[in-house]
Order: sequence, then structure tokens, then C-alpha cells
Amino acid sequence: MDGAASHADYADARFVDSIAERIATRNGRVEEVARSRSAGVGVRVRLGGAWGFAATRDGDRRSVERALDRALELARAQPAAPDARLVPEPPARGSFESPTGIDPFAVPVADKLDVLAAADDAMRGDPRLKVTSAHFLAFRDERLFASTEGALCEQRTSQCGGGIVAVASDDLESQIRSYPASFRGDVAQSGYEHFAGLDLAGNAPRVAEEAVRLLDAPSCPAERTTLILDGEQLALQLHESVGHAVELDRVLGSETSYAGGSFLSPADLDSLRYGSPLMNVTADATLDGGLGTFAWDDEGVPGRCVPIVREGMLRGFLSSRESAGTIGLDRSHGCMRADGFARQPLVRMTNVNLEPGDAGSLDELIAATERGVYMETNRSWSIDSRRLHFQFATELAYEIVDGRRGRLLKNPTYAGVTPRFWASLDAVCSAGEWRLWPILNCGKGEPGQTARVSHGTAPARFRDVQVGIA
Amino acid sequence: MTASLELAERALAAVRAGDGAQATVVGERSLMLRFARSQPTQATAVDDTSVEISVLRDGHVAGASTNGGTGDELAACAREAERAAEAAARHGEPGAYPGFPEPAGSRAHAGHDPETALLDPAAGGAALRQVFDAAASRGVDGHGIWTAGEVTTAIASTAGMLAIDRVTDAGLRVTCVAPGGRSGHAASTATATGAIDAAAVAARAASRASVRGEPKRLGSGDYAVVLECYAVAELLEQLGRLALNGLAYAEDRSAVSGRLGTQVAAPSVNLADSPRYARSLPRAFDAEGVPKRPMPLIQDGVAHAVVHDTRSGALAGVRSTGHALEPAGAPYGPRPTNMVLAAGGAADEAELCRPIERGVYVTRLWYTNPVRPKETLITGVTRDGTLLIEDGEVVAPLEDLRFTDTVLGVLERTQALTAQPTLVGDHGFYGRRFATGVVCPGLRASSMHFTGAVP
Repeated sequence: MDGAASHADYADARFVDSIAERIATRNGRVEEVARSRSAGVGVRVRLGGAWGFAATRDGDRRSVERALDRALELARAQPAAPDARLVPEPPARGSFESPTGIDPFAVPVADKLDVLAAADDAMRGDPRLKVTSAHFLAFRDERLFASTEGALCEQRTSQCGGGIVAVASDDLESQIRSYPASFRGDVAQSGYEHFAGLDLAGNAPRVAEEAVRLLDAPSCPAERTTLILDGEQLALQLHESVGHAVELDRVLGSETSYAGGSFLSPADLDSLRYGSPLMNVTADATLDGGLGTFAWDDEGVPGRCVPIVREGMLRGFLSSRESAGTIGLDRSHGCMRADGFARQPLVRMTNVNLEPGDAGSLDELIAATERGVYMETNRSWSIDSRRLHFQFATELAYEIVDGRRGRLLKNPTYAGVTPRFWASLDAVCSAGEWRLWPILNCGKGEPGQTARVSHGTAPARFRDVQVGIA
Repeated sequence: MTASLELAERALAAVRAGDGAQATVVGERSLMLRFARSQPTQATAVDDTSVEISVLRDGHVAGASTNGGTGDELAACAREAERAAEAAARHGEPGAYPGFPEPAGSRAHAGHDPETALLDPAAGGAALRQVFDAAASRGVDGHGIWTAGEVTTAIASTAGMLAIDRVTDAGLRVTCVAPGGRSGHAASTATATGAIDAAAVAARAASRASVRGEPKRLGSGDYAVVLECYAVAELLEQLGRLALNGLAYAEDRSAVSGRLGTQVAAPSVNLADSPRYARSLPRAFDAEGVPKRPMPLIQDGVAHAVVHDTRSGALAGVRSTGHALEPAGAPYGPRPTNMVLAAGGAADEAELCRPIERGVYVTRLWYTNPVRPKETLITGVTRDGTLLIEDGEVVAPLEDLRFTDTVLGVLERTQALTAQPTLVGDHGFYGRRFATGVVCPGLRASSMHFTGAVP
């Protein structure tokens, strides 16, 4: 950093050591046992408004200096850019380690395979089941951050979890059921105890049975009706139609090329109605167990709890030091995160949560709903580049008739326009139903990066929603 | 180049146990310059090498990877892989992996450009300036990326494989946005930066953003469509994942499971995986060292074949076709990476429009996702140049539309194709750089199902 300070307006360096473990069974056999490790230093420089970034896997001084030179070369090679200010931030100092009960990397592979195989076995039997799968995931990141402003901090986070999947198929279609969540299951910032507590084998017979039952279930009818979403699907809804929309780099047009923009503008802050008065959304990087929990972001800004929507009104964005400065904010919201050492940080979600309401339990909410559809577990998602028009599908649904779950329905889909959809929110279950859900594959940036984020939700009800699109 | 082979041999030599092993070394050097609002935003240089050691034990393959290259790091990686393979072997029945493929000799190709491999950021900077100038002259902003990369892949295995391949790729992607918010898109992909005409790409994107008139709104329904190559490529990529994936086929999850040899598309549809096609992004072998070879997938609209890696092939009772994406096969299966859709006779998209009384011109599809994979039913939205066709001509811009339709349905309803195919590259590159692309023309289909306008 001493060397960088004389060449650049600002520079930072991150040493990141990442390990991951993936274990999976498929149709009763071990399918994947893999452990990966990637370590190196990423150097980011700012020179006259242009950013340059280069990374090296070698941590010796000479290699890091070469990376610095390369980053400077990149910054100089580009056309001139306005020198937008970085909002000030006291230099980050200290260390942080996320709570980890049982080190997931210290548990023998054989023990993990025992758990997975038991769950896989408990799903198999019906010939219509073409795929049964159980999986385990663990991640650990160690990060050291330094900057020309005097920051020097280190962090260590561990994440662990897993899930099961059953796919049933006939001549015409295939149906899928997952537990506890789709797309690789439930992962939290925790130790092995989180995975062990998922009770995969206990839920396996139900998951398999539901996948098969779905083949013969009637399709979700096409109609406008009352929709109740389970917490897991609501997490995806929140992610796609709120979390991404409030990323300030998208709002400012910096991500138009790939991820897209936003229907929001900076002028909407404190004036735009995002949803009904029951809609309260918070981005909280301090939440225990969240995949987006840290002490400092990858710009050295402390993790914070930031109001995004309050009683339906837009109150905040997810920002960086540069984007915050662009719209005249005093501080960054601490949302810059990078995937490993060889990617530079981008504005990302932390843990973006819909606060619980007072509608009681899910059963009580269904009992209070005369007619509608209850949808559970995300299967598919698509939304336009401004985060307005969406179409989502879940794995299954139940019709609601006179306050009770009725028929099982297959191929449930629903669509809407973001502010209209959230304006139709008229009930949110209470704190007893609220929990964190993972999104493990949030993609953004060029070159692409994957972020793991969490969303806290409780099941919620929306009125007059178009369901049964396809 | 020999350093990668030497590293692969050292990594293989570090393995002391198991029934077989493969060491895969992938070295990436790349540049990516991003821009938005005709200003540079981020520039990233990557220079990294990963070593993956896969160990076979009793029909199970387990692996470990590192980006270190010292003796100690390779030894630690090998021990991890051996422990994982031993744990897998001790657990339950023997695995089904038949063994690492034997060497079969791959052909040389023209997929490496030494000039591109220099990764000169000045070339990228010059391209950005050309884009900004072209956009400014047309009163629009430019957003996008310029990228170049070199990837070296070396494989050494106990089956005698010792192979190395080096490829380059380059790309420019431009979205132009007009003051009123209308946008247009164009892109260019090649093995060499010298083949990218930045000003021309920007001009094409700007033209799509500059179609006169207020955007009209189209209701839900089935409309005749003209799809530019970018939209066609997106559909074919989904087809590759959902239907042409040998693992999905073997597990009866593919739209062509039980349908090989039957008509699945219009007779004018001829789709192949062609790694040696002149305009493709060639590579010599797959992630298991199996040579890449041309392979017909759909011929005259008849489903001909799906692609396999060693694992899915073993499940289906056939040999690998050279489409492994990871050593011993990716968990999600193999997919074609060099698809070529044969061109037709229409001079250009304007000629495709002529028979259409009222329809939709689609430049690009966005955020497509499967809804019902076994039917290839997907949903997505149009983006960056959605236009109204009336009486055979583009007459006005349209608000973007959501579609929900089957890929095979669109291909069944294909009426005509343009004569000039274009390489449409995917520069997403999550994780390691692995450049792929679809070479395809534009097409007209008699209908596509749109489920509403995007506000």
C-alpha cells in the first residue's frame, strides 16, 4: 500500500483464501466429493476516476507489486472518466470471526456421506422417480484488507448446509421437490451443526412422495386470485424485485450492459411508494447466521443495518463509497462484496429481509383466507432488466378453499409488476414464522461473480395476483 | 505452454493411491474493460492457474483443486483427492465411472491468436474510444464490455493422456441507450481482437435504439417473429442444456428422451456441434481430454443425437462424445459448446420481415429460465431492440415483451433463416473463463407466445 499511494489516488488490496467442499449422492450412489482451494491477492486502484484491478495467486511482495503495476496500466489505458468522490470512511481496523460451532471441514467425509446416503435411500423406491439427490456444502473465507487510507482488517467466515431433491418423470413431464430449499438447499453462516439439524432423512419420504403426486395433480388454474407465498419463495421474490432493484450501481446505470438497470431513480428516495404499509424491508449485514453477514465489506466499510423500505416507502439503497458519493450521501451502506481474490467488489445484497408482521402462523393465515392459492418452494424465476415485470414458478401449490388447503396443484406460476405486487401485500406472518433463507447463486458483474446472500421472511399474502401463466 | 504440461505431470505424480487419476491444469489470462454511460467503469485483469486432481477409486471419482503450484500444495491437493475418493469408495456400492479416457489424438485448430494473447489494454482502451465516439455521433450512450483472454488447458492422466490446448477469445458487447430510454444491442465475438470492429458494433446497437416513434404496446398472444442471431443463440443455449444434455437424456428428463429419430423441428433446422467450424471458438478436447469432433444434433428437423461425457455415456451405454465440462463429468451433465445452426437463404432480417403482416422483431432475449424443462418450456423477456413489424417492415419500437414458449415449438414453426450466420459468444465467465458461442443466423417463426408487455 505504501508503494500504491504514490501512484494512485486510492488503492486497496485484499488477500482472500477460500475453501469449499461439495459432497453429493445421486440415485443411491456417491456423485461428487470435491474440495477446492483458491488463494491470492487482488489489487484495486483508482486513478483520475478510472478503476483498474489485477490479481495474483502469489503472495510475495514482487508478485503483488506486479499486480499493482498491471492494475495501474489498466486504469491508464482507458478513456478519461469523471473523478467522482469516494465518501469518507474511517480506516477499518480489527478482526472478526463468524461463530462456528463444529468446523464443517473437520468432520470426516464418511460421516457426511452417511447423512446424505440415508436421505437418498429414504427417497428411492417409486420407479417414476428418475433422480434422487442429497448434497452438502461448506465454505470458508479468510480475508485480509488493506488500503492506502490506512485500513487493515481481517475476517474469517464459515458457511454450511445442504438439502435433498427428488425428480419424478413420466412420458410428458418431470416434477421436482426439494427440501429445505431448492437449488442446493439451506446454507447458513454457521458450522456443521446447521447441516446436522436439517433432518434430511426425516423429510425425504415426503419429498419423494410429493414429487410423484405432482405428476398426476391438476395444473394450477389461470386466474386472478389471492396468493400466499411460503417463506422460501418470498425470499426469491424479495431478492429479485427489491434487493436487485435497490442496488445503487444498477439505479445509476452502471450495470446496464449485463445485469440491467432499475425502475428506481435516486429521486425516488423517500418519495416512492414501493408497496403496502405492511412492507418493511431492511438490509442487515450484522444478522447472526446470514450469508451476507460480515464486519467490513470489501471496501473496508463496517457492516450495517440499513432501512430500505419503511411502511411501503423507499428509504434506502444498497451502495458503495463511489455510488453513495454520486448521489450525495454521507456514507456508504457497506455493500461492496467480491467473489474470491480475482474479482473486484461490486454492490451486492447483504441480508435483505422483509420484517415479520402480525398475521400469526402460516396455518392461521390460510385459515383467514377464504379462497386463493398457496405456493411453496421456488422452481423458476425470470424478471425484466429494470426489475419490474416478473414471472416466477414454484414446485407445488395448494388451492385454498374456505380457509383450508385443498387440492395439490402442479406447475404453479404467477406474474406481476413489482410495485403493484407489493402494494397488494395485505398480511405477513408473525415472528414465529420468520427465518433466514439462502440464495446461493446470485450472479452479477463482468467477469461474472457469484454471491451468497440471505433473506429473512415469513409467509405473506398478496391479493389479486395473476396465477397459472403457463 | 510447456509449463502447464509440466505442472499437470507434477500434479499427477503427486497422487499415490487410487485406481487412476487425472490432473487438469487451467491457466487463464484475461482482460475485461467495462463501460457505462460512455464512460469506463471497471477494468479487471485475471492471471490465475488452477490445478484439479481427480482420483478414481472403485468406480467413484473424487477431486480436489488448488491454485497453488508448489510441491507441498500439489501434495496436499492430492491427499485431499485421495481421501475423498477413498471415502466415496467405502460408502455403498461401487461407482459407475468406467475409467479415465485413453488418449485418442486431437487435431490442431486455428483457435489461438498470438496478438490477442498479448492482452494489451491499449487495444481495449482504443475500442472503448471508438464505441464512445460512435455512440456520441448518434446521440446515444454506450454500455458494455470489451474483453480478451487466453486459456491454456493441460491434462495428464494415468490412462496415458498427456494433452495441451491453448485458445484465445475476444469480444465486444454494446448496448446503446437513447435519451428517452430506448435501447439497442449488438455484439461481436471472435478468436482474435483484430476481428472486432468496435465502431461497426456500436453503430448497429445505436441503430436499434434509434427507431423512430413512441414505443407501442402489444397485448398477450401469438405473433409471428423475426429473431436476430442473439435471440436465436439464447434459445439454442437453453436447448443444449435442457434437451441435448446426455445426462438429462439418460435420466429421462430430456425433451428428446425416447424421441431420437423423430421430427422435433422444422425441416429447415439443421443443428450441429462443430468445434472446427471456421467461425466457431475451437478447442481440441473436452475436460476429460476426449477430442472434440463435429457432431450432428438435429438434421432436417429430426433429433439425431445428444452429447455425452464419460459418465453420462456410461449411464446411456454409449461412449463419450467429447462434451465433458469437468473431469469425470459435471454434476449437471454435458452440453454442446460449439453449436452451429445452418444458415438459410434470406438475405437479411429485412427479408425475413417481408411476409409478416403483423409481428414482433426481437433483437435479444433476457433472463430466460426453464419453466417445464422436459418440454423445453422457458420464459424470458425481450430486450434492447424490440420492434413492431407491420406489412412486411419494421415500423415502430415496441415495449419489451415477456414470452413463455417451448424452444422446440419455436424451431418447429421456423419458416426461414438468413444466409449469414454470426458467432454469438457468452462472456459470462462465472468462475474460470470458458468461452463458448453459438454460430447462428436470424430466423423467422410463424409464431411465438408472448404473455404480456413489460412496463
